[in-house]
Amino acid sequence: MAELTHGFKIDEDKCRGCLSCMRACPTHAIRVRATKARYKPDHCIDCGVCLTTCPSGAIGATTWSVDDLNRFKFKVAVPCPVLFGQFPAGITPSMVVEGLLALGFDAVWDFSVDIGLVARAINEYVERWKGATPLISISCPVVVRLVQVSYPRMVDQLIPVQLPREIAGREVKRKFSAQLGLSKDDVAAIYITPCQAKAISILQPAEGAVSHLDGTLGITDVYNAILAHASLQRAEASETRRPPIIRNSTFLRWHMSEGLGHVLAGHRYLLVTGLSNIIQVFDDIEKGKLRKVDFLDAYNCWSGCTAGNLTIANLYVTQSKMHSLVSKLPEMDGETEAEIERRYPTEDFSLERPIRPRPIRGRTGSLKERVQMIQQGEAMLATLPGLNCGLCGAPTCKELARDISMGDATAQDCIFVSKDRLQGLERAYLPRPE
Amino acid sequence: MRGRDFENAGETSAEVTAILKDLEIDPDIILRVGVVTFEAEMNVVMYADKGTVTFILTDDEIAVEVADEGPGIPDIDLAMQPGYSTASDEMREMGFGYGLGLPNIKKNSDAFVLASEVGKGTKLHSSIRLDGNG
Ligand SMILES: Nc1ncnc2c1ncn2[C@@H]1O[C@H](COP(=O)(O)OP(=O)(O)OP(=O)(O)O)[C@@H](O)[C@H]1O
Ligand SMILES: [Mg+2]
Repeated sequence: MAELTHGFKIDEDKCRGCLSCMRACPTHAIRVRATKARYKPDHCIDCGVCLTTCPSGAIGATTWSVDDLNRFKFKVAVPCPVLFGQFPAGITPSMVVEGLLALGFDAVWDFSVDIGLVARAINEYVERWKGATPLISISCPVVVRLVQVSYPRMVDQLIPVQLPREIAGREVKRKFSAQLGLSKDDVAAIYITPCQAKAISILQPAEGAVSHLDGTLGITDVYNAILAHASLQRAEASETRRPPIIRNSTFLRWHMSEGLGHVLAGHRYLLVTGLSNIIQVFDDIEKGKLRKVDFLDAYNCWSGCTAGNLTIANLYVTQSKMHSLVSKLPEMDGETEAEIERRYPTEDFSLERPIRPRPIRGRTGSLKERVQMIQQGEAMLATLPGLNCGLCGAPTCKELARDISMGDATAQDCIFVSKDRLQGLERAYLPRPE
Repeated sequence: MRGRDFENAGETSAEVTAILKDLEIDPDIILRVGVVTFEAEMNVVMYADKGTVTFILTDDEIAVEVADEGPGIPDIDLAMQPGYSTASDEMREMGFGYGLGLPNIKKNSDAFVLASEVGKGTKLHSSIRLDGNG
């Protein structure tokens, strides 16, 4: 298997080894060794807590920069609906589109049709499903990775229908390459993303297929340019020059964490946001306690993608802005509806490959040796203080014991076992008098 | 495990899944052990008074043995029929009682034995080969 790509880079020069990210990481994927934080790639589910927690700005997201776009002949922006809720009052969706074009894009794709198509495919899938419930939406890449890593028994409950952004990428490439006589590789579909998790899901889809999108720019990467452009042309009323990009509210709703609930109104539906809440609910699902729910929509970020870690505006301000946009739009419009009717029978929406569990690897040796390793780890744990102070560089005593049993750490890393360790920490962390 | 204890139902299968994951057993095998344990565990909780689960891991296979003290199953062939269920309305309300538990256990096992004595209890044995070649 190819090495796992993750959404973050740690800048070693900026990292102070302060343990904040390690303590916050919900999957215990971070260790601090020799005053620098490091990922255990198998454990990371790209939730982004580390990036938000780091007080030194040492953790950055892997997205593209605007310059990366230059290698394509024709560049199409596929903006997440959340983008349109980011700007101050007075900056309309059409002005946002103008800004993207000024930034170097050749077109901006309104993917409300793609959303409608996917919603229909999901609806059909939920209706036909006879297996274990609830089915789980794959909209949030963090949720998918959480299931793969921590709830392998639930992978079959993930809905294997492609996401609207992927269907949009496929259609963008098909349509513009035909229209312009270019090869599909010359047409770039670039997703404007609210979070690094989606960026990574495009770079390395969970099911191991290749994304139809070519890359991503964070909302943070395009925000200033759009704002600057908008303030120049404010007076020109761009409205009149372009057809409105957003024709119906289904498009905007999609990423307001109520999108699917709206679409699947006929089913028993549950919406869960925030990773700690999701983990609680998944524990219950694993224990068979939520069998009467047909469908679960879950988002790592509290209240969904409007709170993504590459957004600018305060999430509540964004939501209020989005609600006001929604209230002015029809739920569906004839043009979009007709296009959905036309495309639905001609396209396949299923994931190209099934989503499989993503086991954590690291133990070597025969089964017997692995059992012994775990037993050693348990014996080791009994000798540790159980304070979870983290000063060994692992988030809990249990994780340290596990690391020791796998040869990744030694008991001497614990300050209760080794006084040298404490002195070493003093030398490394205490400010020295000049 | 105790009968009617829905609060703690499902713990055993969650625990064994975690242990097998830590042992880096093939995810497909974990999936199967998880289903077998979960369904057997739920049957004890739903129909019996109390029961125990024993896991035996060898180089070749993992065996799951569930023994309970309970009413027993009068007609095993009938109980094995997909769709046959004596679950109460209350259990159905919780999403159980499709009569698919035992057939599912059998489907996921490489070897499967179900024995029962009415008035005494039920013993279920399932084993799953670790190499995945059932
Ligand atoms: N441990 C047990 N003790 C007594 N009766 C049992 C036991 N396990 C199963 N049965 C009987 O066998 C029937 C079929 O069991 P099975 O697990 O296949 O279906 P179910 O439990 O009724 O429904 P589901 O498993 O789909 O929720 C049960 O309804 C019950 O009458
Ligand atoms: Mg059952």
